[in-house]
Amino acid sequence: MRLLRLRLKNYRGVGSSEVQFGVRGLTIVEGPNEAGKTSLGEAIRILFEYPDSSKHKNVSAIRPVHRDAGPEIELEAESGPYHFTYFKRFCKKPETSLSITSPKSDSHTGREAHGRAEEILRNTIDVDLWKALCIQQGDAIEQANLSKQTSLSMALDAAAGGHQADPREESLFDKVRDEHARYFTERGGEKKDLQRSQKDLEESEQEVVLLTQQIQELEQDIERAATLRQELKRLNQQEQELRTDVAKYTESLDEIRRLEMALETTSLKLDSAKKSEEAARREKQVRQDLIDHVAKVRGALEKLDISSASSTELVREAECGLQQAESKSNMAEARRKDAETLLNLRRADHDYFNNKLHLEQLRERKERIDLAREKADLAEELLAKNQVDDVVLKAIQKAEHSLITAQAKLETGAPTLLLRGLADLDLQIEDQPATLSASEERRMSVPDRIRVTVPGSLQIEVTAGASASDLQKKVEVARQKLEKACNQAGVSNPGEAGKAFEERREALQAVERQKDVEADNLRDLAYDELERKVRVLGQSVPAYPSSRADKPALADDLESAAKYVRYADSELQEASAAWEQARAELDTARKTHEKLKERAQKEKVERNLKAEDVTRDEEKLTRSRANVSDDQLEARLSKATQTVRNEQDCVTSAETALRDKQPERIRALAETAAGSLRTVKEKRGAASTENTEVQTRLKVHGEEGLHEKLQAAQSKSDRLRNEDRALRRRAQAARLLYVTMKNERETARRAYVAPLKERIERLGHLLFNDSFTVDLTEDLTVASRAMDGSSVPFASLSGGTKEQISLISRLACAMTVSQDGGASLILDDALGYTDPERLKMMGAILATAAKECQIIILTCVPDRYSNVGEATVVRLG
Amino acid sequence: MTRFLHTGDWQLGMTRHFFSEGVQERYTQSRFDAIRSLGRVAEEEACQFMVVCGDVFESNLVDRKTVSRAIEALKGVTVPVYLLPGNHDPLNAASVYRSAIFLDRKPDHVHVIEDAAPFSVAEGVEIVGIPWTSKRLVQDLVASTVGQLEPVLDGIRICVAHGMVDSLSPDRSDPAAISLHAAEDAISRNRIHYLALGDRHSLTEVGASGRIAYAGTPEPTDYNEVKPGFALVTTVTRETVETKAISVCRWKFLERRQVDLNTKEDIDSLRSWIDDLEGKERTVLKLRFVGTLSLSLHAALEELVSDAREVLGAVQTRSKHLAVIPEDTDFDDLGFSGFASRTVQQLREQVGRADPDSIAARDALALLVRLAGRER
Repeated sequence: MRLLRLRLKNYRGVGSSEVQFGVRGLTIVEGPNEAGKTSLGEAIRILFEYPDSSKHKNVSAIRPVHRDAGPEIELEAESGPYHFTYFKRFCKKPETSLSITSPKSDSHTGREAHGRAEEILRNTIDVDLWKALCIQQGDAIEQANLSKQTSLSMALDAAAGGHQADPREESLFDKVRDEHARYFTERGGEKKDLQRSQKDLEESEQEVVLLTQQIQELEQDIERAATLRQELKRLNQQEQELRTDVAKYTESLDEIRRLEMALETTSLKLDSAKKSEEAARREKQVRQDLIDHVAKVRGALEKLDISSASSTELVREAECGLQQAESKSNMAEARRKDAETLLNLRRADHDYFNNKLHLEQLRERKERIDLAREKADLAEELLAKNQVDDVVLKAIQKAEHSLITAQAKLETGAPTLLLRGLADLDLQIEDQPATLSASEERRMSVPDRIRVTVPGSLQIEVTAGASASDLQKKVEVARQKLEKACNQAGVSNPGEAGKAFEERREALQAVERQKDVEADNLRDLAYDELERKVRVLGQSVPAYPSSRADKPALADDLESAAKYVRYADSELQEASAAWEQARAELDTARKTHEKLKERAQKEKVERNLKAEDVTRDEEKLTRSRANVSDDQLEARLSKATQTVRNEQDCVTSAETALRDKQPERIRALAETAAGSLRTVKEKRGAASTENTEVQTRLKVHGEEGLHEKLQAAQSKSDRLRNEDRALRRRAQAARLLYVTMKNERETARRAYVAPLKERIERLGHLLFNDSFTVDLTEDLTVASRAMDGSSVPFASLSGGTKEQISLISRLACAMTVSQDGGASLILDDALGYTDPERLKMMGAILATAAKECQIIILTCVPDRYSNVGEATVVRLG
Repeated sequence: MTRFLHTGDWQLGMTRHFFSEGVQERYTQSRFDAIRSLGRVAEEEACQFMVVCGDVFESNLVDRKTVSRAIEALKGVTVPVYLLPGNHDPLNAASVYRSAIFLDRKPDHVHVIEDAAPFSVAEGVEIVGIPWTSKRLVQDLVASTVGQLEPVLDGIRICVAHGMVDSLSPDRSDPAAISLHAAEDAISRNRIHYLALGDRHSLTEVGASGRIAYAGTPEPTDYNEVKPGFALVTTVTRETVETKAISVCRWKFLERRQVDLNTKEDIDSLRSWIDDLEGKERTVLKLRFVGTLSLSLHAALEELVSDAREVLGAVQTRSKHLAVIPEDTDFDDLGFSGFASRTVQQLREQVGRADPDSIAARDALALLVRLAGRER
């Protein structure tokens, strides 16, 4: 529907007013307060809603204040294919007229006009939606209720591309939800009916179990009762048998007890007799012991007497032995001392000879040392003069060798002169006389020139050539070197040098030998000690023979002296051994004597004591025999022994009589029988008690009608189980249906709200930013706004934002339905909470929306809408 | 000659789980009423006495009230009644026959057979009863008891026993089974002239002698009983025997092992069959459904069963072989196009899948159809 023109007359405070709206886009109706802006929106609703005759308070409210006239409303509008002018006057001279100009002219008045207008409106617009979208003054913040708006639904259905939902489907869904709610809570929990059903079932099953148990217990009791009956019968029989046995054994036991008493009596008598016999025997024994004792003591005394005499003799013998031993010992000691003296003398003799020899040796050693020392001094002197050592000798020998080599070369290289004697001949060679025998050949080298003269006859001079001259020079050089070397060594020629070398070597050897001689002769002595010993021995040895005793005579020599020492030593050994022997014998003899003496003393004391004992015991025996004689004691013992024998026979016969009764066996059997009887009695008592209990239980519970109770409980349980199963099946069906339908509805709704959501978000992007999204509820209101990643419930938004989103939501809705059955959007003083910045953006939003639907803004603050772009502006007042 | 009424297996105190409380009471009462009917028959047929061959009570642990009501009913019987303890009510320590209430109230003409000693019930007629003393027997007491009896030289001896004859016993190795051969041998030797048996709930003649029979239970207790609800008026001489079965029951247990259900006509047919049943309030039905039904037809079937349950004693149904498959026709009238339509589609797909949820999906669809129908 699009509003084209609205005229009011006598309407509240408005006398007359007419507003032309823009066909599309925005129309801003400006005017101060009470200019009648709000009345415009109100008037359109009242026009369609109430018949002219209506007494409704809303109608009464629009009557003019100070005029007695009926308020008039006239609207020119387009809706669907219709173009019409609709007029009403209320209260005073009510009138209604409807003039349709398109699609075909038609006019109506009165009630018919009202009906027709309603019909047009109903057929072409969604009146509810229209009402919902319009914002009246003061209600801007709340969102429009769009949930039941047919035209919106249709538009959204069409946009979603699905089949149009039958309006009854929502109603069906409500029923499905109610059905589900019968069984389950919103969160899916079971409700009381289901819980109770389950509980009742469990209780009834429990009851069945309980009753079954009770019956089973009774069945057990029944079986037990039968068993107990048998048991009691058997126990009674056993008890009877055992009683008989016990009586029999009691009788036997009485007899046994009587015999036992008899046995006891005879046993006591026997004991008494035995004691008497024992006393008599003891008395006799005491007497005999005394007699034996006296005899024994006397015997011992006699033995002691003999022993004492023997000891005295022995002591005497020991004393003699002791004296002999002492004498023998003294003699041995004197011999030993003599031997000792002789040995000392012989040893001194031996030492004399020994020292004498030693003195000689020491003197020789001293002389050898002194001689060596003199030789060494001479050698040292030679060594100081003679320089020809090994090196010097070798140098001379080398120079000599060089000379010989040069001479040899000269001889080889120089002409040779062979002289062969034809007869003995004297001649001179180089003016030196020489002899040449017949057939003797003498070959001579001519190094330079040689002259051989046979005196008187011939002088031959042979001169060598140039080469021989060189060789001769070399020889000469060599000779000079040799001479130099000899000179340096202080010798005249190599032969002398060799001799000097030998002398030097010998001198060195002499020096060396002197050390060896000293070492060999001093041995472990220093020279001074040696010298002192020689001096001391030189004094003592010659003095000895005169200082010693004359006898025995001094031995002839050392060997004899040594022999005498051995003899004297041997004598001393023997004398010492004899003396030791004698001394040991003396010691033994002394100990023996003391021991025997002590024993003799002890035996004497012992003998005296024993003699006292004998006297005392003999007196005691005599006194005892004076009281009771030995024969009397013997007679008493014989009598007591006979009495014992008699009593023993009595006991034996009593024992035999008792044994014949088998007391142990009878007692064991009696005890067993009595025990068995007690056991059987106890068992019977227990069985009887149990039987009573079982019978009581059976009596009490057996008549309780457990059978029917169980049957009833089972029937009830079965019934409840079936009912529970059926109830759960119904509940499951309801849940499945509800869940399925809810899901389907949700799926449909998501598709359905998508265009509206998309439009709201598109407009919202202008105001907020591109991240702006909304969630819509089932009734198409905004549940929450999300922006920049955070979501805020609508209720928690600020007043301004709420207002803006509400307006955006209405605009989106109006845009959605604008193609088909769209409605004008009338905003009465909206955006009162919006700040200037956002007002600007809201202006852009309104301008965008206005391209698709008619928007009429009523405002007393025109500046608020200064940014809405192109708009039709109407001023009131 | 003697004539007596042969009955047994009264099973007093028996309950059936499929009965509602009220129906159970009716059923219980009918079993007591049967005693009175038996009493009337005995009187009308000039019976000398009545033998009840075991399981008089369903259990030894029956309620005092059950015992009281039984005794009240027995008081109305004019002939001597001989009760034999059976396996359900053995003569053990908890025996109902030894309960204070039974002993206190039992009328004089009612006797409990407590041992196997023969006793005289009329001139020339004696009974030898073989009571159960526990729930389980380990030997054939009939054979061992009658085998030791002296032949009856002049007169008639009736043996009253409880248990399964070996020729009928499903357990051939049961040591307690009654030997038919031994029984017939005892009959041929004049040790007994008639063996009145209990335990089997169907009226059954056993062997070829005509002298051995189960009288069956006077009121049916289960579907598998072939001929329940009778009592036997038995006339015995040393040479002849004559039995006359007389119906005394008022209840019926009917079982249809296969009720084919595929179309609306099948359901209509079942409805008229049920409508035609006589004595509905004492009829117990067990129906096994076989076939395939749409959701709406299944809803109709459930309605039919629900209606039947209101008038019949009990209706037990088995739907294991009944497939319920949603069909297009189930949803044709709903006219949904939006999410409800897609919900239907979703659930139908689920029904098609062979998983446990398919039944829930089918139920959900049925619920949807119901709720939508209410919507319309």
